[in-house]
Amino acid sequence: MADTKHVVLPGTLNLLILKTLASLGELHGYGIARRIEQVSDDLLELNQGTVYPALLKLEQMGWIRTRWSTSENNRRAKYYSLTRAGRKQLTVEEDAWRRTSAIVTRFLTPSEK
Amino acid sequence: MTSLRILLSKLRGLFLKRRLEQDMQDEINAHLEMLIEDHVRQGMTPEEARYLALRKFGGVEQVKETHRERRTLAPVETLLRDLKYGFRMLRRSPGVTAVAVLSLALGIGANTALFSVVDAVLLKTLPVEDPERLLVFEWQAGRQYRTSGMSGTSNVDGPPGTRSLSLFRYDVFEKLHRAQSATPESPVSDLFAFAPLPELTAKLGDQAEIVDGQAVSGNYFNGLRLNPILGRAITTEDDRPGSTQVVVLSYQLWQDRFGANPNVIGQQFKLNQQSLTIIGVTPRGFNGTLQVGFNPAVTVPLSIEPLLRGDNSNLATANSPGVWWLNVMGRLKPGATEEQVRQSLNGAFQTAALEAMPPPRKSSDPAQLAPKDYPHLRFEPGNLGMMDRRKSYASTIYGLFIVVALVLLIACANLANLLLARATVRRPEISVRVAIGAGRWRLIRQLLTESLLLATLGGAIGVLFAFWGKSALVALTDNETGLLPNGVELSLNWRVLVFTLAVSLLTGVLFGFVPAWRATTLDLSTTLKESSRATGRVSGLSKGLLVVQVALSALLLVGAGLFIRTLYNLQRIKLGFNPENLLVFRLQPERAGYKEDQLLRFYQQLFERLDHLPSVSGATFARVELVANENWSNGFLLPGESVDATEHDTMRQMVRENYFATMEIPFLRGREFTPHDNLHAPAVAIVNQTFQHQYFPNEEVLGKRIRFTDDNKLEVEIVGVVADTKYDRQRDQDQPLLYTPWQQDPTSIGEMHFALRTVSNPATLAERVRLVVRELDSNLPVTQVGTQSARAEATLGQERLYARLLSFFGILALVLAAIGLFGVLAYSVSQRTKEIGIRMAFGAQVAQVIRLVIWQGMKLVLLGLVVSALIGYVLKRLLECEYFAPDSWQQQMAQQLYGVKISDPLTLIVIATLLTLVALLSCWLPARRAAKVDPLVALRYE
Repeated sequence: MADTKHVVLPGTLNLLILKTLASLGELHGYGIARRIEQVSDDLLELNQGTVYPALLKLEQMGWIRTRWSTSENNRRAKYYSLTRAGRKQLTVEEDAWRRTSAIVTRFLTPSEK
Repeated sequence: MTSLRILLSKLRGLFLKRRLEQDMQDEINAHLEMLIEDHVRQGMTPEEARYLALRKFGGVEQVKETHRERRTLAPVETLLRDLKYGFRMLRRSPGVTAVAVLSLALGIGANTALFSVVDAVLLKTLPVEDPERLLVFEWQAGRQYRTSGMSGTSNVDGPPGTRSLSLFRYDVFEKLHRAQSATPESPVSDLFAFAPLPELTAKLGDQAEIVDGQAVSGNYFNGLRLNPILGRAITTEDDRPGSTQVVVLSYQLWQDRFGANPNVIGQQFKLNQQSLTIIGVTPRGFNGTLQVGFNPAVTVPLSIEPLLRGDNSNLATANSPGVWWLNVMGRLKPGATEEQVRQSLNGAFQTAALEAMPPPRKSSDPAQLAPKDYPHLRFEPGNLGMMDRRKSYASTIYGLFIVVALVLLIACANLANLLLARATVRRPEISVRVAIGAGRWRLIRQLLTESLLLATLGGAIGVLFAFWGKSALVALTDNETGLLPNGVELSLNWRVLVFTLAVSLLTGVLFGFVPAWRATTLDLSTTLKESSRATGRVSGLSKGLLVVQVALSALLLVGAGLFIRTLYNLQRIKLGFNPENLLVFRLQPERAGYKEDQLLRFYQQLFERLDHLPSVSGATFARVELVANENWSNGFLLPGESVDATEHDTMRQMVRENYFATMEIPFLRGREFTPHDNLHAPAVAIVNQTFQHQYFPNEEVLGKRIRFTDDNKLEVEIVGVVADTKYDRQRDQDQPLLYTPWQQDPTSIGEMHFALRTVSNPATLAERVRLVVRELDSNLPVTQVGTQSARAEATLGQERLYARLLSFFGILALVLAAIGLFGVLAYSVSQRTKEIGIRMAFGAQVAQVIRLVIWQGMKLVLLGLVVSALIGYVLKRLLECEYFAPDSWQQQMAQQLYGVKISDPLTLIVIATLLTLVALLSCWLPARRAAKVDPLVALRYE
């Protein structure tokens, strides 16, 4: 099961980040990256650095907000959390993802009759 | 919305670059450190931890770059970067940059200055509310309809067979106005009339002065929606006969003559002997709605025009129904159209017009009168006031625009050459960029940014030049030059500045695009392989540009030369009288109310004093001032001709007995006038030679009687012949001229031009003369005072303007072309050092090298001269072409020259020689540098 690593599809990174923040509340960039790797059981090959441009985009869209604080190892770090608009966007993206995967699944399932 | 959010965020990224960059660094460093610490905790060595951390993170620089790009507005960043780079490139060769910017500044500045003229004369709308909604009313009718009397100018074009006028008679206007106000749903909200009152006598302090004024209907200011800055405006109440006589002052008059005193309201003011009450002052910048250049200093209601004009009133009097003299304008309601106005008011107008005009001549068949021949209304936009005169300025202005555009083109050509040369030098740099993946358009954009930078710098300095230039321009021009009407202020307003910006950008693209294109057309393999120096061959494009520059400069200089010769010729024309030491001035006693016998007495008394002024050797006067663009003509019949014969024409003049002696006009035969030629004596006349040759070529003219065909029906006997003189213009051919003695026609001496022959400088006498006149009558202004030579000189204003401006721009163009030639040759020599070294090593003499370089340049100059000759020939044929309508601006331009043809050989040879000499100098300097090449150094140097 853990042989091949899958590359994160472009576009899904946003969804993963939003979901992570929804579950865990406020996190800094490293925390988000680590969490995504953990949840996927290390199946997702994620270049950790790529979260930062994604986080910037999410912040520009108004779905997350940022705040500077001190991390657990006493470093100055930027913490990200969901806004209300972000929560709504998460729902939207989740639905979109489920619908897409359902359609593709149906497509792939051999049709009866 | 989200796009706004994103934009704001990106703007923030643009402005807070440094801080956000630091933030990003901090964030990534923190991430990496946390990652490393985790690895260390898992048991790796610091090096392994770090290595793995970097691998897990992914490419740090890529992330940073993506983040940077997303953070900010990419196009703006690119632009800023390009600009910084461009500045650096320009700073590298400051001399060249300075010359480039300077030439651009001169070219763009000239265009800006001229555009401010266009703006002020042709584009400036009336300073009233919503000028776009104003309409000028005109009318049109078949030629069969005649107006009973007309006063004023009306320059309206119409289809052939019709006549169009912008003048209305008062009763017609009244009926139109009544029709408009009677209909509440009329598309016109206000209808008003106005007319010029030129040359009113105003008593300002103890001096009498001549001012221009206008008469307006009561609702004029209301219709314009113009509010005075002091007091109140004229209303319909003031326009009733019998109400208080009021006057509104212009801002200019209030400033100049009343010291901007806020207490003028209520003061009395004398105009043409009538006492008027000042009720208001119009705002600054409002110059009435009449022709451009006519700036009324006072505005009065129409109802008091008869008081001011007396028997000359244009309104209806007991004797006549009045003349067609009023201009009419209307204000459209929002949303209304011209068509609606026509439908609404044409009927009323037609009825009124048909009542006012005599029926068509009997010869025309009423059945043939098409509906289009009936008088009907037509309209022109009213946002500029009355338009007619503006069009005549247009020809001069557009002609000059062509000149300054050419100068700018020459400057652009210089810059294009400069950039082409630089592009060749930068080839290796550019090819490297292309090799690592820069898009071609990206490179072109960057090169264009440099050009635009140059152009905008040039434009900015050009605005400065234009600012200085416009005061010079105003000083150079006056009413006579036909370029700038009186009282027009040139301002560098936003329209002019937008124009400058547009021209700058266009210029930058124009001279920058082709070199940029050329520079990025690269065959990478060869470019990277060959040595960084080019072969030094000047590209065909460069050569072409130089040829064009030389050709254009040649054309401008020839134009300048032709006008200088014209001016010279005009100034040398023999006038037929002696203009030296002659003081002239004008009196108009008739306007001050003098009647005929009073005039005779007044002039007698005046001459008694003038004759005895010290340093005056002769005092005389005439009805028409010579060489002043004035004329007076009459029709007449020869002896024995019946009343129905076609009348002949002659110019007229009315003079004092000592006129010919004082003006030093040779008297040929017969007798001169004497003081006995008065009303009790038989009517006599003296004619000039042209008159005699034209009308009595083979007979004795003395003793013949001729009869005038005007109202007076005067019959005169010719008693003398005098030599010809120039009459209204220096350049006109001699015309038949008939003189009559002043005492024999008191109806025509209401305005006279005096001439005093002085023994010394006439200018000092002016104040004495004013004193003398004031002693006799303090209400009589002395106007148009000056020396005869100065006044004659002033009529050549337009020719002088052309000569000056064309010379200035021609020399400018020549200098620019010379710089261009020098630049291209210098560059070529510097690139060909190796080749020259080889030649010299093989035995070429210094002289041969010099000849080589000079010929390289002169080839182009000669080609340029040939091209200019061709263009000149084409232009000459065009201007001589018969297709042009008479009075069109092309015809006007063709008639500017005097005494010299367009293909004048002397001018052409002089200019060609001048150009060749300057070009030789431009070629000589780089040639000298080539001659100094040391073959050993050149061959070694790579």
